[in-house]
Amino acid sequence: MVDFSRVQKELQECNKDVKLSGISVKPKADSLSHLIGTIPGPVDSPYEGGTFLIDIVLPDGYPFEPPKMKFLTKVWHPNISSQSGAICLDILKDQWSPALTLKTALVSIQALLSAPEPDDPQDAVVAQQYLRDHQTFLGTARYWTEAFAKMSSHGIEEKVQRLVEMGFPEALARSTLEGVGGDENLALEKLCSS
Amino acid sequence: MMSDSIVNGSAPNASKDFGKKKRANRSAKLKQCKLDARREQWLSQVKNNKGCEDEVNGNGVAVVGGELNGSTRKKAPIFKDLELKSPSLEENEIHHDSDSESSSHANSPTSSTSGGNDSGTNYSGISSSSSSISSSFGFSCGGSYSGSITEEEEEEGGGGGCADDGCLDDWEIMADALAAATTPNDKERHNPAPDLAPNTETGSGLGLTTEPSSPGSVGSHSERSKPEGAGILGKGAAKNRAWRPDDASRPQTLPNLSKQHSFPARHSCHVVNPWVRNNVPTSCPICCEDLDLTDSSFLPCSCGFRLCLFCHKRILEEDGRCPGCRKPYAADPVEKEASVSGGSLTVRLARSCSMFSRV
Repeated sequence: MVDFSRVQKELQECNKDVKLSGISVKPKADSLSHLIGTIPGPVDSPYEGGTFLIDIVLPDGYPFEPPKMKFLTKVWHPNISSQSGAICLDILKDQWSPALTLKTALVSIQALLSAPEPDDPQDAVVAQQYLRDHQTFLGTARYWTEAFAKMSSHGIEEKVQRLVEMGFPEALARSTLEGVGGDENLALEKLCSS
Repeated sequence: MMSDSIVNGSAPNASKDFGKKKRANRSAKLKQCKLDARREQWLSQVKNNKGCEDEVNGNGVAVVGGELNGSTRKKAPIFKDLELKSPSLEENEIHHDSDSESSSHANSPTSSTSGGNDSGTNYSGISSSSSSISSSFGFSCGGSYSGSITEEEEEEGGGGGCADDGCLDDWEIMADALAAATTPNDKERHNPAPDLAPNTETGSGLGLTTEPSSPGSVGSHSERSKPEGAGILGKGAAKNRAWRPDDASRPQTLPNLSKQHSFPARHSCHVVNPWVRNNVPTSCPICCEDLDLTDSSFLPCSCGFRLCLFCHKRILEEDGRCPGCRKPYAADPVEKEASVSGGSLTVRLARSCSMFSRV
């Protein structure tokens, strides 16, 4: 059984300084065992400006067992699966301590965004790119942030759809959007001029 | 009536040993500790007051209280309480010592109102509350002090504030009248009530120190004073006259003033500080439950990370590493019972502090 009194307290503590940390945790539904965490992308990283949602499931043994966390927002990061959002972070596995909290775990994830560990990857493709073609990695990560992690550009699919309706092929529209960082007008200009 | 007073006087004697035992577990220790914290500030006053009149005076009050009490309400239950729950009675006795002292400090209807009500909720407070009734001079803080103290010793969260239902019929009248005058102070009145407790305890603690054989001597005091009840009452009134001018002029404000200048400061320096200094958390960082005394003195890892015994046990069953430093717990945990003078004082004060906050 999850220790709900502790979870409750954690939520209160965490949501006390949302403005300062930008990190918040909210229950997904009525149950306190399924939560949604929010972290801002760290500055000076390709994730800056993004807001990342993290799905948190508390196992019965929480806080003696680590919370199960994964990214709901798509992220391009060596230690985060670009497919599933699974996170490779030691404190969410064997280095978990009951003294840690949801907030400290989210802070750790935020730190992981700033400091990838390509030698211990979750997503091998991303890790390869990170090591071999860092510029491309940065571009892709920035695009993904722009495309998936920005509140303003959460509707990237709609933009693609609109461009497709204008008569552009979807793949081209998508790649062009990707190239201009998700700006629909810039993408349109580029598509028209090409 | 008379029998009441006799019981009041003799019960502690009869069941002294029994009471002693129980007291040793809780209140005696607590008082002994708090005593150190407060001794200096009270010492001079105690020297003046305590020696002869006030102590006797206090007991006299108790006796008379028993009489009135019996007549007004719940005679039989009181009998039972007095006889069966002698520890509490003993507390009462001791409190009366301190009552008299404290009554001379904050001698006012205001506090007596709350006091009477307080103790009305509590069996052990009953006699003391009625003592306040009976003694015209010191219908003062006696009730409230002992009431809140008993509650504290019983570790009741409800504490001093839970009071205003006016259990004593006589008191309702008094309380109504006074409440009308002191409503604005209501909050103040409720909050300080628990604060008064340590004060009283100090008083009684002082009684304990100056007379090493505490319960016995107190009991004998009450016996001694019993026959002289009325005379002592008069004497007490005369004695209390030293504080009367204040009373006459502004009865309501006096206790507030004394509270203001005496309690908050001491509260902060004696209760909060040791707590901070020793860095003992109030609640388990793992399960967020309050740490009790055992937990607070439980230091399973040299890194200093504290947690409650339940969580510790659970961790031992699983990976057995300290949550604070991730090192495996030693097979033989360092169970540090803090030294009596320093640590346990801290711990106990911390506990009482948490009780205050709950109140």
